[in-house]
Amino acid sequence: MFLYLLIVVIVLLLVFLYKTYNGLISMRNSLHNAWSDIDVQLTRRHDLVPNLVESVKGYMSHERETLEAVTAARSAAMQTGGDIVSRGVAEMALGNAVGNLFVKVERYPELKASQNFILLQEQITSTENRIAFARQHYNETVRQFNTKIAVFPSNLIAGAFGFTEEKLFEMDAGERANVAVKI
Amino acid sequence: MSTPDPARAVAKFVLPNPETFFKAQARNRRATWRMSALCVFAAFVMGIPLTLVLTPLLYALTLVGADIINYFSPLPAEFWRTVDSLSSTAYRAADYFINNRGALDTNELILAAVLMLAPGMLLAFVLWMGMRILFRHGGVGGTLASLSAREPNPSDLKELQLADVVQEMAIAAGLPAPRLMLLDTVGANAAAIGTSAADARIVISRRLIDDLDRDQLQALMAHMIGSISNGDLSIAFTVTSVFEASGLIVALINAPFGKQSRKTLWRLIRYAFRGGGRDAQMVDAGEVADLLADTLDTDNSDVDQFFNRQNGGLIHKALKAIFFPFVITNAAVKMTLWAFTQILLGPAMALLWRTRRYLADASSVEFTRNPEALATALQQLSEDNNGIAGAGWASHLFVVNPKGDTSLRGAPPAPARQEKMLDAWRSTASTGYIPAARTPDADSTEWSRGRLEMMDTDKAAATGNPMAATRMTAFAKLMGSTPEFGFHYVPDPEDYEAAKRGDATAIEHIRLLKEAQARDERPSTASRRDGLQSQSFLSFHPPLGKRAKRLQKMGSRLMAPENQYGFGLKIVMFLLYLIIIPAFTVAGLAALFAVGMMIMLNLMFLGLWLTVIHWAFGQDWAGNYHGFMKVVDQIVSAISSAQHRR
Repeated sequence: MFLYLLIVVIVLLLVFLYKTYNGLISMRNSLHNAWSDIDVQLTRRHDLVPNLVESVKGYMSHERETLEAVTAARSAAMQTGGDIVSRGVAEMALGNAVGNLFVKVERYPELKASQNFILLQEQITSTENRIAFARQHYNETVRQFNTKIAVFPSNLIAGAFGFTEEKLFEMDAGERANVAVKI
Repeated sequence: MSTPDPARAVAKFVLPNPETFFKAQARNRRATWRMSALCVFAAFVMGIPLTLVLTPLLYALTLVGADIINYFSPLPAEFWRTVDSLSSTAYRAADYFINNRGALDTNELILAAVLMLAPGMLLAFVLWMGMRILFRHGGVGGTLASLSAREPNPSDLKELQLADVVQEMAIAAGLPAPRLMLLDTVGANAAAIGTSAADARIVISRRLIDDLDRDQLQALMAHMIGSISNGDLSIAFTVTSVFEASGLIVALINAPFGKQSRKTLWRLIRYAFRGGGRDAQMVDAGEVADLLADTLDTDNSDVDQFFNRQNGGLIHKALKAIFFPFVITNAAVKMTLWAFTQILLGPAMALLWRTRRYLADASSVEFTRNPEALATALQQLSEDNNGIAGAGWASHLFVVNPKGDTSLRGAPPAPARQEKMLDAWRSTASTGYIPAARTPDADSTEWSRGRLEMMDTDKAAATGNPMAATRMTAFAKLMGSTPEFGFHYVPDPEDYEAAKRGDATAIEHIRLLKEAQARDERPSTASRRDGLQSQSFLSFHPPLGKRAKRLQKMGSRLMAPENQYGFGLKIVMFLLYLIIIPAFTVAGLAALFAVGMMIMLNLMFLGLWLTVIHWAFGQDWAGNYHGFMKVVDQIVSAISSAQHRR
């Protein structure tokens, strides 16, 4: 009788171990996936910025500084490595530069009205949104993961297998407000 | 209809017990569990009468088959002994229950119950599982996949926005972006279809994206993608497969009697054995599902037609006489299905589906953090025509009831729009008409005063004040279409004057306006093919007003219209319910009684039928024939000998 009980308890423990470990692994994978989602969107922005600069250059010959700031911010953002914090700062700078450019565009009504620019503006807006939503998704996943490895009983298994807390992807809150592009 | 006092509506604006979207999600998930349990219970309760009809039919078919085999090569005596003892048990059980005669021991009782219930339940379960396996690649909403849809055009700003917001929301949900199918219809609506998040699609009408701004579109797409990521597609699949299995049962019973059901079954078999890509399969599945739904819906089934046909030949008449019990069986099955789906299973599933809608609303708020955008989008949809032609079986998948939902009409617009309206209103003051000032309420706001002015001016314009009409027209022009008032179909007075003089462009203007009005008005007669909706007296769609109220708890500033019942009206309503509830109970009991009678009748006729057939097979027809001929011979010879004698 006691033997049976012992076997049942051991089997239950094994099932728990199996479930929790696999759950943690799949959570960590989806977390990495979410991070690469942000990466994809940041790259998309890097690809769109030259287009933007190209299409407004003809109209905005007096705003060379603004345009150069955007180009510089882009190459700075592209050169940062995988470190989450410095990446966030550089991307924030690029976002601000693009936002600044859009503020300046307000002064050029014929540019604002051009069909090409409207479509490009929508793409930029959407890219900014995508970055924001990818970040929201990433941070939400990180939050769930960090909670999971901190609470009992899954923290026992997380500790034993060396799961550690992941960092949130922070960008300055001011960044979004600046880039809010009104259509 | 009295308009709710806008002053009070705005003044009452306080957040009533706020709720975070996380809490809302958790609450709706729990509600889903409760409703699922209710559905299982309902299916079980419905299964008992259904199996009481189906089981005897199965036994009858088995017995007739055994009789036929027995006629050609006799079955072992053991078999007939078993049949005998089983039927006597059944007879005694029936006698015990109906006439309260005789005695049964527990074993016999259990045996009788199992014999009576198990085969029908097993059959229903097997058919249901079969439907699930068969349609697993087809998913839900195949009917919609067959509508002529197109991909969004990236050089059109609105359609680019649509594609973008779907991408954004898919990113927010961590899902692959669903494919988009754009319909060029007059109705504004959207639905998510498919089997799973991996191959989901969003069907959306162009009219919808025209009517919503970017944020509203985003919120609505967040609702769709939230619904997909919450696993609603598989829930919808389970719900539809139950009804498909019911349709199949009816089709199987009807199949021997008419082409319609045979065609349906043949179509089902062809579908089962065809290959083809995902898309083709989905469309195919949709067609088959529609056919099965029709089987469930038709009032004039094959069996009825077969037995109502008057001009049949002799064979037809003979068959009619032989197969008479099937009329009763068919009627019993259909009645059982109808009564129990209408009052039990259908509403349970509708409530289950509603919890998913609320959950998707909460998910939308989670993704966009913008409850107001969703609420105003719903309000806009409430003002629109929501019908999608050809939606059929899939109508429950739409975000708003395709029949339209007016429960959010007349809600005060969101603050941004209020400001826009007020600005436009003030700028038209120069046209000259200013309505008589009213004594302001203590709790009146700028908006409520403005709105009262607008309504007074509108009234004056309607009663023929030309200056008021000019101001209203100017205002309408500034606002574009303003569904808050009823004048967006009123033609420009200048156009009228010009049309009287015979100006072609003015006539064209008025004609277009009238056309738009005709298009936007809801279809007066609902289409008969409204799919699952017709299987439940409760709608599968939660009322928009309730959804807006829940969004309000999550922070939306759109006021859902309150019920403005006074105390007197409340008492009247209470009394009305006091009458209605017992009446409905009585009606439900009567329906149950009718179903019970039908089942009994079915059993009786089937029993008679079997007895006759069994007796017929038991006769030595060849011997009888010889015996009969011998008698005839004797009579003939007796007659001839009598003649001889004469």
